[in-house]
Amino acid sequence: MPVLDVGYRKWNGERTSSYFRWWVVAWSGIRLLLAGTALRRVMIVATIPALLSGVAIGVFEQATVDDSLRQTVTREMFGRRMDRAPRDSIWQVLRPAAENPKESRHLVWTFILHWYFRYPQAICTVVMLGLVAPRLISYDLRSRGYLLYLSRPLTPWSYLIGKASVLYFLLAMITTIPALLIYLAGILMSTSSSAILETWDIPLRILFSTGVLVLPTTAVALALSSLTEESRFAGFGWFAIWIVGWVTYIVMNATLMRGINRFERRMVQEEGYYYYLSPYHLLGQLQREIFGLLPSDKGVDFLGWILCVAITILGYGIAYRRISQTLKA
Amino acid sequence: MIDIRGLTKNYGMRSALQSVDFVVQPGITGLLGPNGSGKSTLIKAILGLVRVNSGCGTVLGMTWPNEVRALRDRIGYLPEDDCYILGLQGIESVRLMAQLSGLPGAEALRRAHEVMDFCDIEQERYRNVETYSTGMRQKLKFAQALVHDPDLVILDEPTTGLDPNQREEFLGRIKTLATEFGKTVILSTHILHDVHQICDNVTVLVKGTVRLQESLQTLEKPIHDGMHVVVVSDVQKLQDELQRQQFVVDRLDANSLFVHGLLPSDASLVWRAATSCGVIIQKVDQARNSLDKIFMQIAGAD
Repeated sequence: MPVLDVGYRKWNGERTSSYFRWWVVAWSGIRLLLAGTALRRVMIVATIPALLSGVAIGVFEQATVDDSLRQTVTREMFGRRMDRAPRDSIWQVLRPAAENPKESRHLVWTFILHWYFRYPQAICTVVMLGLVAPRLISYDLRSRGYLLYLSRPLTPWSYLIGKASVLYFLLAMITTIPALLIYLAGILMSTSSSAILETWDIPLRILFSTGVLVLPTTAVALALSSLTEESRFAGFGWFAIWIVGWVTYIVMNATLMRGINRFERRMVQEEGYYYYLSPYHLLGQLQREIFGLLPSDKGVDFLGWILCVAITILGYGIAYRRISQTLKA
Repeated sequence: MIDIRGLTKNYGMRSALQSVDFVVQPGITGLLGPNGSGKSTLIKAILGLVRVNSGCGTVLGMTWPNEVRALRDRIGYLPEDDCYILGLQGIESVRLMAQLSGLPGAEALRRAHEVMDFCDIEQERYRNVETYSTGMRQKLKFAQALVHDPDLVILDEPTTGLDPNQREEFLGRIKTLATEFGKTVILSTHILHDVHQICDNVTVLVKGTVRLQESLQTLEKPIHDGMHVVVVSDVQKLQDELQRQQFVVDRLDANSLFVHGLLPSDASLVWRAATSCGVIIQKVDQARNSLDKIFMQIAGAD
């Protein structure tokens, strides 16, 4: 029984703007997300690679003032790779850093941050979105919760933006914020007072790279979630896209690489020829472009960018259409 | 409160609403109609959840359908469907609806508790909504519809799944909202008893067209005056006695009579006749048209 039951009362307070109600959808989703202990733990684990990247920048900064450390790092970490890597390999890009680290702060920092985005966080993104995104819209379709949302001053777009913001938050927590903290740590550990001037564009590259990672992936994840009332089917579809793309890419490259020795094959695969077929490799290639790590003779990858934008538009378009259509049922 | 003219909605080749003129006065309006008559489509159209082919008007003084998004802040909607947001507690889902309607965070929580008290949701408010029974979900939806203090409340089959006691309480709350707090309520239902019990006006929708729009008082008023008399036994004796006193009397069934031309102020004449012939009267009531019969006539006309 309530301690005090005042019955029904009129309410005459001031309402918040109807144009920002999507934030309520987002915040409610984020609260639900953070209520899951398992997911919170996975998020903590996902930040571990950021520590490794921070240590790498710290070691580099130390190497700029310690010659013996520089030689050891160059020999142990990059030496063999640089010598044997093909012409357009990412390792070749690092060659100036080994020779003159003081002048290569920007290059090394972007290399480390690119590595951070490209490998651990891209995989984390795929796994985390696979765990969270399939439920976002499909649960509302199953329980018809969308009727409750859309009978308020929300348009299907604001509902969709609210749901997407849950994923933006999740990905910001495991990619953007750690990457910006790595950058900040680099500034604090830097031995040179000019570090900020030399690297001022890196935070912008981090934000842009986040956008490239987040927008198409959330679009596809939400589209899959909106296509079914069963979140497991959406989850299956999500992982299938990445795995099938990856395997296709490997198989196509393996066919192309016949006759090339094992080490070079790995390098060439890494740089890729069929990366348009694999979302993982396509995003990696675009991020490499954003971080300025492509060889200078390589121009803008227009096809890659068009594909990325098309997938984003198509994904959000499908999700929007599905949400609008449900009201007609 | 609502004045919509020429509302037409087609789903492809199928016409769901055909040039509907829908007027709602303050008070409680019962929206009746057989399955597939277009009630839910009409409600969704008012809320702007479906795009209409034609029609315009005003709702709560605002232009419809142009200002429909802003209108939703002033409308509370209880959907017919079993809908809830998975993973949320009852109190959280009511607060969420309050926030979606523009109530600030702390105020939304306070108001959610208040409305849940009003709807008789006690400690269950801290349980996840997917564990609620059907009756609890109806109460929850009602709380969600009221939490932002709307001027217009649209209830689509609100008493479905409620036991008789809960139903009576539910109807009582709706009546309270209309009479004490000036809410305009649209009650879409199949249960004519509910309409009879609390509605002021009735709209009957059949095959996407409005067939009847009238106040319940006018509808139930018979064309001719008369009284309906129910007796415990010996109905024939009372009928003979009344006819002897020059009344025109019809036998309705084994225990009841209809006395033509008799006004409520003259009911004592029936009592006197019963006393004189030793018949025990169970009920004397002013004759009314049966809503059931009216509805059956209109719905069955096609």
